[in-house]
Amino acid sequence: MSLLTDFGPDSGGRIKGVCIIKPIVYGNIARYFGKKREEDGHTHQWTVYVKPYNNEDMSSYIKKVHFKLHESYANQNRIVVKPPYEISETGWGEFEIVIKIHFHDPNERPVTMYHILKLFHSGGTTDLGMEAGKGLVSESYDEIVFQDPTQFMHHLLTNTKQLTLGRWEHNTNFEEKKERTQKVILEAKQKVRMEISLLKNKLKLARETISQFKDEIAKVQEQQYM
Amino acid sequence: MADVRDIMELERPPTPEITKETIIGSDKPKKRLSNGPKAPKRPEGMHREVFALLYNDTKDAPPLFPSDTCYKQKIDLTMRKPRKWTWMPFTNPARKDGAVFHHWRRPSDEPKEYPFAKFNKKIEIPSYTDAEYQQYFRDDKWTREETDHLMELASRFDLRFIIMADRFDTEKFPTKRSVEDLKDRYFKIIGTLAKLNGEKKIYTYDADHERRRKEQLKRLHERTSQQIEEEQFLLSELKKIEARKKERERKTQDLQKLISQADNQSETPKKADKKIPKKKLTNPSRPSRIDTTTIETAGIKFPDYKNSGVSLRSQRMKLPANVGQKKSKGIEQLLQEMELELNPTPTEDICTNFNELRSDMVLLMELKSALGSCEFELQSLRHQYEALSPGKTLNIPSQLLSLTENENKQVNSAEIIDVVGSPGNPNT
Repeated sequence: MSLLTDFGPDSGGRIKGVCIIKPIVYGNIARYFGKKREEDGHTHQWTVYVKPYNNEDMSSYIKKVHFKLHESYANQNRIVVKPPYEISETGWGEFEIVIKIHFHDPNERPVTMYHILKLFHSGGTTDLGMEAGKGLVSESYDEIVFQDPTQFMHHLLTNTKQLTLGRWEHNTNFEEKKERTQKVILEAKQKVRMEISLLKNKLKLARETISQFKDEIAKVQEQQYM
Repeated sequence: MADVRDIMELERPPTPEITKETIIGSDKPKKRLSNGPKAPKRPEGMHREVFALLYNDTKDAPPLFPSDTCYKQKIDLTMRKPRKWTWMPFTNPARKDGAVFHHWRRPSDEPKEYPFAKFNKKIEIPSYTDAEYQQYFRDDKWTREETDHLMELASRFDLRFIIMADRFDTEKFPTKRSVEDLKDRYFKIIGTLAKLNGEKKIYTYDADHERRRKEQLKRLHERTSQQIEEEQFLLSELKKIEARKKERERKTQDLQKLISQADNQSETPKKADKKIPKKKLTNPSRPSRIDTTTIETAGIKFPDYKNSGVSLRSQRMKLPANVGQKKSKGIEQLLQEMELELNPTPTEDICTNFNELRSDMVLLMELKSALGSCEFELQSLRHQYEALSPGKTLNIPSQLLSLTENENKQVNSAEIIDVVGSPGNPNT
């Protein structure tokens, strides 16, 4: 851990050159009632959440998490101040939830994420997994990057406790996903680079041919004017 | 109500007597009400409009009411007595004969000197002595008399050379003198005299230059309309030629840039490949410095995330605002063709590589379009050649023909040199 770095009076209370990364997982799970509820037409129960990727208590540095639901919900702004950072509701439709994470140090600006609440399976890009009795899951991995944290924030970030003693698992296997993604991106990159070099050679050839053609034309023109 | 009834010709009441009460009608309303609800009745023979002026149902106050308030103070023109003007004589000092003129003036003003007299400027024309003339001003083309006449005219017409040329005594001096000749002679004399007096500021006059200038103006003025049209046409042609030249230069420069960018790009993958295994060992949760100084020579310039503060990793994969709609659509399409996610799981490595990949994609698209225009140019050059020398043609190298079709066969072609390693079809 790079703790004692140079923080002079002009560093603005920030520890320069330090970068702390906190991976998180956010998303929702949803469970179908099996039928449409009579009184309000709701069909699903769902829970939207923000979880640490690693087993740690995020409340040491997170002050609150603000979930902004659809305006049709009673008090659409829900605030959670301690883990688990989640909101459970029932509903019948999908919508975008704005998740805003506020930190204990007011000098660090809050970060905002956008999650589309998923109730129905779709072949989109989000992770949908059907697990027995669990309904569906749609969650994303992201990383909160603390570049040059303040001293106070640095202290909070580096002194976290474990959240549970048991195993800390996610519905989606992100490690595998990361590896797979990395692999396909690298492959794609290789492919694109190869195409670029191919095209480059062609382009060179084309240019040479163009100048050659121009010379030929000039020659013919000269002969005609003679 | 009464009006409507009148118009509809309903229930014409019997003629009432015309009294003050029937006209004003408001004296005894109760009694009238008891008589019937249709109280005031219009007297027979009275016009409807006139009656309406005297009486109406609502008994409104008249809409207009005289008021004392005035919107704008009127100017009182009678406040002062007008001052007097008188017809007075005056003399102009410019007139040596003492002629008396008259004009209107306020008698209160003191009779002063004529105010416009100061504009009657007299120019000092220097003079020369006989000795000076003999020594300095002798000229083959000018006689002494003629020079004297010139100087006299100069002082008489205050150096208005055009008038001087007009009034030059052509009977006495038959040689024709143009304005330039007069000016030339005059300024030469003045210059020499000034030099003799030791003045520093000496005026010179270039008669030839002046003649040429006038000639040029004259020609410009006397152009015919056809000449003007031709000139305009030539100018516009010149502009076109220059624009085309610029366009060509720009194109070749762009191409050069693209090729050099591609050169840089093809060097980077080795570096990137080396980086990856090392970085995989680092746990992303552990604090580590971000290496955002990725080599981005072409394509997209992603902003540096060196600023202090909190951010989300996924934010770094956002395309910068300067990437146009067309480019971002193209990237999206390419990603879908390669079956890649549009928003992959954002770890540091994936971010970097994904951004580099998209930057490369932009370069690729640019190269493709450049090659397309090259192909077009080749075709048109070939047509040009064929037109110039019938029966002959130029051969476009096979791998440059019809880009999209030949792309798959490209790799097999023996002429491709720098294919980076892996043989086989790049599109599989």
